[in-house]
Amino acid sequence: MFHTAYLKTPRAQALILLVPAFGAYTVFAIWPMIDVVILSFQRWNGLSADRLWVGLDNYRHIFTHDPVYWIAFNNTVIWTILSVIFPPFVGLLLALGLNEKLFARGTMRAIYYLPVIIAPIAVATMWRWMYDPFFGLFNQVMTSFGLQSWIQDWLGDRDVALYSMFVAFTWQNVGFSMVLFLAGLQNVDRSLVEAARIDGAGRWQVFRHVTLPALQVTVTIVIVLSTISSLKAFDIVYGMTGGGPAQSTQMLALWAFTQSMQIFDFGRGSAISVTLLLITLAVVVPYLRWSQKREEAAR
Amino acid sequence: MRVAKLVGGSLAGCLALGGAALAEDLTVWTLNYSSEAQVAALDAAEAKFEELHPGVNVEIVKRGTDEHKTALRVATGSDTGPDVYFMWAGLGLGGEYVKAGLSLDLTGYYEKYGWKDRVSTPSLAFVEAFGPGMHGAPYRFTGEAIYYNKGLYEKAGITEEPKTYEELVAAAKKLKEAGIPAFTFGGTVNWHVMRLMDVLLETTCGVETHDALTGMEADWSTTPCAAEAFQELKMWSTEYILAPFMGIDNRQSTNLFLTNRAAMMLEGDWQVNVIKEGANLDDFAVYPFPTGTDRLYGFAEYLYISNKSKNPDLAAEFLDMFSSTDFQNQIKGAFGALSVNKEVELGDDVPELYKTWKEIFANAKGTFVNGDQAFPLDVTTEYFRIINEVASGNMEPQAAADAMQAFISKRS
Repeated sequence: MFHTAYLKTPRAQALILLVPAFGAYTVFAIWPMIDVVILSFQRWNGLSADRLWVGLDNYRHIFTHDPVYWIAFNNTVIWTILSVIFPPFVGLLLALGLNEKLFARGTMRAIYYLPVIIAPIAVATMWRWMYDPFFGLFNQVMTSFGLQSWIQDWLGDRDVALYSMFVAFTWQNVGFSMVLFLAGLQNVDRSLVEAARIDGAGRWQVFRHVTLPALQVTVTIVIVLSTISSLKAFDIVYGMTGGGPAQSTQMLALWAFTQSMQIFDFGRGSAISVTLLLITLAVVVPYLRWSQKREEAAR
Repeated sequence: MRVAKLVGGSLAGCLALGGAALAEDLTVWTLNYSSEAQVAALDAAEAKFEELHPGVNVEIVKRGTDEHKTALRVATGSDTGPDVYFMWAGLGLGGEYVKAGLSLDLTGYYEKYGWKDRVSTPSLAFVEAFGPGMHGAPYRFTGEAIYYNKGLYEKAGITEEPKTYEELVAAAKKLKEAGIPAFTFGGTVNWHVMRLMDVLLETTCGVETHDALTGMEADWSTTPCAAEAFQELKMWSTEYILAPFMGIDNRQSTNLFLTNRAAMMLEGDWQVNVIKEGANLDDFAVYPFPTGTDRLYGFAEYLYISNKSKNPDLAAEFLDMFSSTDFQNQIKGAFGALSVNKEVELGDDVPELYKTWKEIFANAKGTFVNGDQAFPLDVTTEYFRIINEVASGNMEPQAAADAMQAFISKRS
């Protein structure tokens, strides 16, 4: 027997509010993900009505026959490690600096955050011109300072291109980490900081034993978000090198796109996407569990 | 008075609605063109068709190459999309869409309009090569050859255009001795450096073996001329291409050429307009890459009618107008030296470069297409990778030939 009184309960009202959003989320997020997994076991060119079931063939191909997959895999790993270290570290330093009472603090915060709101493809175009070996800003500045020996083919040398792109990526993403850390720093108990200083703790000791433990949750959020965004690095790579030279800066997300949207092999593109999803889960889930346990232990 | 206004308003509304119902839309998807002349030609096509077909609204959507391919793929997976779309004619490009059933068989329209009698023979090469039926109508046929800077040739003491490959290498050597990089290429777009590999393969292998290699009928790893072509590519990249080139694109490369930073470019006949808009045409000349086979290096571009078009007859009318003598005369020279329409000849008032192009087309004994038109897409992608590896000095010629064959052999 269904009572209208049930509709007035918080649980029922929560469900009523959640159903439309969940429906949309299912149609536009969950179902496509499931479809990609199904597609990874099929051969499909994206146009014909027929999808041919090929079992594990796509996975077998990308792991054993695809000359680019492992290059993209390695690059993605390198990119992720760098992304988890540098932008958050620089962001933390900036946040610590801009948390102090400085002249024009608000303006400086805005300036550092500005690159975050620029479209990655625009960032890519901008940096590509700065890296131009003939007319670019970097090589011209180096030339004017007599540092010709430092000049590089920033985006054309396979040993340098990935890291050149990463500099642009860091420039764009530092502000994001900075804002999260600034928010986290507002939760640091001022009385604890003052007590530590009265007890004779230096700047480093205050940071190490008071500020950093208070930022634990923020650090977890920053690292998880950095990991996820770096694993799916796409637009900046697409815009700056397109995965070149000779696929040496290829990434898994871009390679999945290339297989699907340029080579029109949606089965293999989906298989690459699924491996990327599994890698993301394998990295993020254990880390989240570990940090949760640490937080619980600290309470 | 109020009633009269209401009645009048209603009538006006009905008429407007009636007009809207009668209006027809024709959507054409094509590429972004950097040349003003080409953009103007497309605008002219839009205006002329609307003028000939009152009530028809033509919308020409222009996108970058990758965006165009992606949009086409996405749109054709749904019920929306263009009536007419641009695509190159090669098996690995236009052929992919034909194979996927996206292109409408135009046999009936070819018969109705007599297009076969109207357009040039080389541009028809792929119409019936995609399988059953006729697909695509020639939009333009283009050749690619060596553009050179006369002043820089003179400075290096080169008095004659090279007629053989050996003479071309000798000219490059002279240029190098004079401190002038012979060629400029943009490595980021893959297909730019590919052109050099394509003509080198024609040079080292000759007609039959080249076609057998690009047709994937011959074994790259055991065909000596394939490794030899990669060896030549390595030599050109190391010695005679303006470096660094792997990190720049074709437009940056063109800028370097127009600012006298390198002596030569391997470009299509469309480049005449690009030079015209950025430098003095008289400072440049053109000659075919001396492969020794006398075949013209070039490719065809087609306009295809989508099988999803709600109005294929109107789309066919548009294709008919585009290749008509009247309209081709109107846009003469915008897309290159050679019109797809046999009746349309360039006049005497065209730039000297176009006259040379006319000779190049006339003297050609057959054609060979760009690698990315000859290969299926996955092989093209690998071909790009291997070429770039060789050009960057990271892969030896024989290893490149082996890698090419290994990829072809493992295809499923």
